[in-house]
Order: sequence, then structure tokens, then C-alpha cells
Amino acid sequence: MGAGAVSGERTMSARSIVRLTFVVFVALLVQSTVMLPLRFDGAHPDLLWLLPITAALLAGPQTGAIVGFWAGLAFDLVLPTPFGLSALVGCLLGYSVGAATAAVDKRAVWLKPVAALMGSVAADMLFAVLGAVLGQQQMVQIDFLSLFSVIAVSSIILVLPVNRLMRWAVTSEAHRRSLVSAQPAESGLW
Amino acid sequence: MLVVVSLSIISLDLNGRTHSLTSGVKSVANGAFSPLREGVVDVLNPIGNFLSGALHYGSLKAENEKLQATVGAFRAEKAERNFENTQLSQVMALQNLPFLQSLPTVTAQTQDENSSNFTVTITIDKGRADGVDVGMPVIGAGGLIGQVIQSFHYTSVVRLITDGQSRVGVTFGNGYTGIVDGQGPAAAMTADLVPPHTSLKAGEIMYTSSLDAASFPPGIPVATVKTFHTGAGASQESITVVAQADLNQLAYVDVVQWEPEPSPVNAP
Repeated sequence: MGAGAVSGERTMSARSIVRLTFVVFVALLVQSTVMLPLRFDGAHPDLLWLLPITAALLAGPQTGAIVGFWAGLAFDLVLPTPFGLSALVGCLLGYSVGAATAAVDKRAVWLKPVAALMGSVAADMLFAVLGAVLGQQQMVQIDFLSLFSVIAVSSIILVLPVNRLMRWAVTSEAHRRSLVSAQPAESGLW
Repeated sequence: MLVVVSLSIISLDLNGRTHSLTSGVKSVANGAFSPLREGVVDVLNPIGNFLSGALHYGSLKAENEKLQATVGAFRAEKAERNFENTQLSQVMALQNLPFLQSLPTVTAQTQDENSSNFTVTITIDKGRADGVDVGMPVIGAGGLIGQVIQSFHYTSVVRLITDGQSRVGVTFGNGYTGIVDGQGPAAAMTADLVPPHTSLKAGEIMYTSSLDAASFPPGIPVATVKTFHTGAGASQESITVVAQADLNQLAYVDVVQWEPEPSPVNAP
């Protein structure tokens, strides 16, 4: 993640960049060891899209896009799909979620699950369509109903722990203290 | 900016001349990541197996007994087939066709299945360091299961024959030929380019063909005919097939170290 990365108007600190790298790495490891065997009707949960979604909710569209790009690129390294496709969808997803929720009260209880559900399903749709456009027709020859069901349920369940990790990574100490005072109930839970 | 960078990377990957660049990056990353991943799996597997075994003790015991009976039946069958195999090897040698059992194979363990929700692939624990390369056929219990599409230093990705991108040239019956097309995990495979009213029967086995520039060595069982009919005015038979190999048993597979010979047209 480049040193010039910004979150909203704040410049992302070197500590945040290191932490983000760590979070992406952990997500990749968990995805390839724990999530892959968790197969329901042929589909497995996908942690990748939750990274830009939570980053965008916590720090805005630009950070969402940056996290989405780098997380997507890291996941592309181990996926058989075209290299760069996850990075493209990830950065579009991060920016879109950040922009769409800019005017929404971030303390709303429904925000994270709804953003995770809609964002993950939309990202998978875009991923499949772009893949087909790039000549990978098999990417639209799957059981989308099963895929969306698994992705929707798993995203709602996993968004809270991923959000916790992402908050640790992207939120500066000062900002985290302000969040604690602003969201006592949520911080108590996570 | 990031979108432009992403599109540039995709272009590099899809361009035949620069694909080796992205492939090299993926190879290095996989080489570094794979041992780490295996370490985590080795730690997690016993826990998962313990929980799974405790939950399914009864069914596992019954399955074990059933497998023992199956192994016994196969031993008897193998003894009967030794003579037939010898004869078949001689016939194949006369026709100058490679017989699969004479081709070198590399046995590999499957590391994971369908690493993406959008492709039907498996990742195996053998790569270029073990002689596995892109294009090599992969066989499992009963027949062909797919082809190597990405080969890294220590691991490889195999596209299964049920993947939507898979095409396998086959021969069956009295010298008929066709193409077995994967239709993705949710749909049955089809056999295309078979002329209408071709003599077929359900359960008929289709084998890899030996046509020029074939992507597979001839004689590997690929699929069996499930249903077939000729539609009114159709230019080809509508055939659905099922994989001959058991695609649910992919813990261990054999990579056949066979590469297609260059077509005579392209030869100097």
C-alpha cells in the first residue's frame, strides 16, 4: 500500500499500512485454509469483498478503493481467474460502498450487515460478468442462487469480525478514541 | 487510477506475449504462500478430522466395511484383467499409440478444490519442480478428470472437465468422434459435434481421441453417455454425458507427463 494512501482527508500512517498488509494476509490465509472447505451446495464463503466494504465504511471511499485494490491483487495471486480482475472489482466495490454510505449514519446497527450483503452479492455479479467479458464464459455458468445464498449469509456473519480487524488496521489512535466515545455500545461488543 | 492499473494488469495477463510475466509473479507468490498454507492446514486438519469423526462415527465405520468389500472385488478383477491388459498393450504398440500405463505419471495430492466460486479447478501439490507442466492431462479414479492450466514451482492448478472452459476431443462406438464440453458445476456435460442419428447407447464410454494435434493421449476414458436424442432439423445429436472418473474422489490424482506432438502443418 503506497505511502501516499489517504483515508478521507487523513493520510494513512505507516503503522496503518503495515497493519492493513497484515489483515489482508490473515484474510488470505483464513480464506484458503478455513473458508474453502466450508462448501455449501458448491459455493464457499468469500472474505475478500468484506475487506473493501469494511474499509469503506470505516474510512471512506478512497481507503475502500485502495484496500479493495491491494486485497484483490493479493487474492488474485492464488486464484485461477484472470490476474487483476479481483483488484479491479475490489477497488470499484470499495469506492462504491464508501460513496453510497457517505451520508449514512455510521452508527446505524443495520449498516454493516446490509452493506456486506449487498456489496458482496454485487461484487460477485460484477466479477462474473467482467470475467465473461474477458473470455471466461464459465464464470457465468454457475449456480448463482446457491452462490448468492452462501455469500449473503456468510457475509452477514463475517462482517463483524472483519470490521473489527479492519478498524484495528485503518483507524488511527486518536480516531479510535473518538469512536470509542461516540459508540460505547458497539465498542463494548467488539 | 487504480482502475487503470487493474485494467493494465488484466491486459498483461491475457496477452500471450506478456502472460509469462504475471504467471511468474503468481508462481513466486504461490511458492512462498503454499508452505505457509500447508502448515496452517496441517494444524487445523486434525482438529477438523476429530470433530468430523466424532460426529460421523457410525457412517464412517459402515463406509470402511463397504470399501474393504470393494477392494476385495477389485483385487479379483485385477487378476482377471492382467492377461487382457498384456494383449491390449501389444495391440496399442502395433498401432503406434501411447498406452497410458506406459506413460510416466506423477502422483499428486489435492490441496484444495474450487479455490474460486467461478471456476471448477483443483490445486495439486506438484509443480514444475516435479515435472508437471501446463497442458498435461490429469487422471483420477476411473478416467480423465482434467488438464493442468497453471503450473507453479511446487503446485499446479488443474481445470476439471466439468468446467465451462473445458473441451475434450473424444472417440466412441464405431470410430465416431465428438467434443465433450464442460458446462460448469451446476449442469451436465454435453457431447457436441456428433452427427444426427449417430448410433449410440446409454452408458457408452467416450475416450480421448488420437486425432492430430490432440490435447490428450488417446484411450483415456472421459465420460459415459447419459441421454441422447436428435431434435427436429438439428444439425447434431443432443447428448448429455457424465464423467467416467469419480469427481468426488479427488484426494489423489495422477498427472500424465504427456505433451501433444506439434501438428504436421506447423512442423518445419
